[in-house]
Amino acid sequence: MVLNKKAFKLPRVERDIFIRLVRLGLEYDREQGCFSIKSYNNIEKLVDVISNILGDKRVSFLQSCLICGSDFPCQGCRYFDLCDTRNLPFHCVCSQCLTEGKVFE
Amino acid sequence: MRTDALWVEKYRPEKISEVLGNEEAKATFVEWLQNKRHVKKAVLLYGPPGVGKTALVNAAANEFGYKVIEMNASDTRTEKAINKVAGPATFFVGLDRFSTASKGSLLFLDEVDGVAGREDRGGIGAIVKIVEESRIPVTMAANDTDLEKIRPLKKVSTLIRFQQVRLPLIITMLRRICAMEHIDAEYDALERIAENSKGDVRSAINDLQSLSEPNRVLTLQDTLALSSRNKDISMDETLRGFFSAKSFAEAATMLSRSNVDYDDFLLSVSDNLPRRYDNPEELAKAYDFVSRADVFRGRIGTEHWHLLRYFFNYMARAAAVSPESYRPFDFISPPIRIITLFWTKGKRTMLENICAKIGLQCHVSRVTAKNDFVLFIKAILEKKKSNSIVTWFKLENEEVEYLLKMNKF
Repeated sequence: MVLNKKAFKLPRVERDIFIRLVRLGLEYDREQGCFSIKSYNNIEKLVDVISNILGDKRVSFLQSCLICGSDFPCQGCRYFDLCDTRNLPFHCVCSQCLTEGKVFE
Repeated sequence: MRTDALWVEKYRPEKISEVLGNEEAKATFVEWLQNKRHVKKAVLLYGPPGVGKTALVNAAANEFGYKVIEMNASDTRTEKAINKVAGPATFFVGLDRFSTASKGSLLFLDEVDGVAGREDRGGIGAIVKIVEESRIPVTMAANDTDLEKIRPLKKVSTLIRFQQVRLPLIITMLRRICAMEHIDAEYDALERIAENSKGDVRSAINDLQSLSEPNRVLTLQDTLALSSRNKDISMDETLRGFFSAKSFAEAATMLSRSNVDYDDFLLSVSDNLPRRYDNPEELAKAYDFVSRADVFRGRIGTEHWHLLRYFFNYMARAAAVSPESYRPFDFISPPIRIITLFWTKGKRTMLENICAKIGLQCHVSRVTAKNDFVLFIKAILEKKKSNSIVTWFKLENEEVEYLLKMNKF
């Protein structure tokens, strides 16, 4: 499952789990009912907890392309198996920009 | 191979946006730096080497007008040394703080996980105290935050994590450098350099510079010789790479990659230079550079490692006096001094044992026994070999023979 790092929804969780999510770095917007990531230091543990809540072991976040600005999932990347940092940072270069040989400004 | 300045310096980021990757870490650091009311007065940037921690601090300071006061692992960081440098810097506000161009000073303590051992005794405690009392932002960087010794620092700091820079980002950056340096490179070659760097941007740039040549396409074949990035290149390999370097930059890159003992390396280069240069003028020039490198090695001692770049610089110049004259030579000899020490080890051990026996009986140190006693005992033994002092000192026959045949020590 691929989540949008800026705002994503989770099913209602128990108080202890909610507190754990917040301590691990999530922020909750009461008005929107959405979570977003505030701190990135414990991203691996955070993904584990979210995976347990969603019952999906393959939870990851959408990446933003540093060149064209588009959002894209890691799954399509040719370096997916070599990458040690699939969940963080949330910025990378999309396959299209890489193929077209675009460079940073 | 290009012969101009090192590209890691040439393309060092001057703006935050130029620091590659770790966007979230960059944003958190900038937010912390701009926020006057810090929850915690210090920030600890942590992550693997070569991912942009130091580059970010320098780029941010440059962009926001801070003057960086830096202490890194090359400085001795005892409590006294830290208080001497960082104490006044953090307690007094500089006059430039009141100018519109400057925001004052920023204290940057690099590689704080390296503050350890007897040399840096009390260092962590001093840093914590400075963080608590500082009037200027305190930034620290570390590779490993799991160490017990830096736990007090984690308590007083906002932690910002850096990750390895991803392959697509490194490839894109290498492409940009290639475009700016007018180098044609195959995608596969850049991909291999990026893979080999293991997320270390600095080493990827160094590899690109060492492999690229003007008017020649950089191919995958060229990159196959790249060694893995673990700094375990042997002395022989380092010497061969050093003597066969086609330029100053290639020799400098080879030196920066190797982890050999610098003293042994200096001696080996010195002993092998006549095999490398046939022309007396070139040889003299090379020896001049080696002697200058030796001066800097002496200045470095055990603590002034920030001077290492000058040592590398002069050594690399010695290798690049006449790159076109290189002819492969089969035998690179180990340093003569080391060979001599190896051959004389038995004799030196014998003398040490004799001095220890003299020291024990006369209640003096081995050094005193060696300097003040041995020559007199030799003179006594020369008059009468089976003297009673032989029994008193409990000297063996071969030790007596050694003393009699000994010329000097």
